[in-house]
Amino acid sequence: MAVLTRRSLAAAFARSFLIQGSWNNRTMLGSGFAFAILPALRRIFDEDPEAFAASLGRHLEHFNAHPYLSNVALGAAVRLEADGEDAESVRRFKTAVRGPLGGLGDALVWAAWLPAVSMAALSLVWLGAPGWAAVTTFLVVYNLGHVGLRAWGFRAGLAEGRDVARSLTRASLSAWTERVRALATLLLGLLVGSVMAGEGGLAEAGLPWGGLAAAAFVGGELVGHRLWRPAAIAVVASVALVATWGWLL
Amino acid sequence: MEVLWISLLGGLLALDATSAGQFMVSRPLISGTVTGWALGDAATGLVVGALLELYLLVSFPSGGARFPEGATATVVAVASATAAAGTGAVALGVAIGLVWGQVGGITISVQRKLNGRFIPEPGTAHPERVTSIHLAALAMDFVRGSAVTLVGALTGRFTVGALGSAWPLEAGDSLGLLLVGGAVSAGILLRSLGGFRRRRVLFAVGIALGVAGARLV
Repeated sequence: MAVLTRRSLAAAFARSFLIQGSWNNRTMLGSGFAFAILPALRRIFDEDPEAFAASLGRHLEHFNAHPYLSNVALGAAVRLEADGEDAESVRRFKTAVRGPLGGLGDALVWAAWLPAVSMAALSLVWLGAPGWAAVTTFLVVYNLGHVGLRAWGFRAGLAEGRDVARSLTRASLSAWTERVRALATLLLGLLVGSVMAGEGGLAEAGLPWGGLAAAAFVGGELVGHRLWRPAAIAVVASVALVATWGWLL
Repeated sequence: MEVLWISLLGGLLALDATSAGQFMVSRPLISGTVTGWALGDAATGLVVGALLELYLLVSFPSGGARFPEGATATVVAVASATAAAGTGAVALGVAIGLVWGQVGGITISVQRKLNGRFIPEPGTAHPERVTSIHLAALAMDFVRGSAVTLVGALTGRFTVGALGSAWPLEAGDSLGLLLVGGAVSAGILLRSLGGFRRRRVLFAVGIALGVAGARLV
């Protein structure tokens, strides 16, 4: 670890924000992972170009995880390489963590944190707050969680190396996910309430539209994601029909 | 000329969705407001962005899944909605945005396939090549996002220019029509958060707070 400088670690962390830049169907995050870890590897294998190329090559291999939590694997991989672990150990470690890091991240960030903050900002809009307030609230609150999670993951991986699972257990991300989901439910209610009664909401549209929206809501709750596309198509078709009707009149 | 600038904005915002940062400036609420502000009509940008955000509450940039591209769709929607006055333009803009989100999603899939062709094999890894291919993929994503926005904005502005002024519905009915579609997304989200049966108390408390907040304001 002594060989790593603050600068090389900062460069690897900064590059992690671009880790999905060359996302592809063959290696998924693999090439982005290699791009992010490159400054650290360059430092670690400063005097051994062959070992550098071999290490870079193994990080180009297939890898996938949630982009924010991939920093856990990135930090740990830097630590393993700096500690001189053999290629097979590094490979086995990355294979072992990619599934959990993907599942935990998707559940915590995409399915809970992002919708929760979106709904808070949307509620502000329907409650009549200025647009800049909703936008600023969204960006600040969301990115406190986002950047915090990336930084925590990188530090935890770097500190624990192959034992980073301990940090993940201590952080109890699943429990956090459950808490955020509960908060998101409250915020969904807040959003529905503010859309029902707020400025530019269903109260202005009238009772029949309110009834239709309630039916659509119940349909979405009962059917789930399969209903999204048909509903979007129905809205687009309705708008097209109304516009054509107006044009013909 | 304005459409060209907006296309570049679309390219930049598209980068944020997956390739660079993921600070979520690409979410419809943000990109709609920013685009509206850039076009001198922040209010329309906010309305269109908020409506599309409602639709895309259940759309996440997760892994290899194909998802509607919210950023370019929203820029196109706002550029279209500001091509004429009135709620008809907003309704048409949102509808065009929903269609264009699918187009953007398809182009992302195509780009990901193309990226895979250029990624070096592990045995032939060279640091400069890894860096240059990664940066080239980022640049390609920017170009893709800009092109998707350019074509969408031109098509959308033409469509709204032709049909927007003849829109026959009142403002309330137009809004109702759009909110019915958004309600489906809200229902889907409740299901994914645990479902009504499990979450009914929190959900009901939220509704009460929302209604009370709207009355107070």
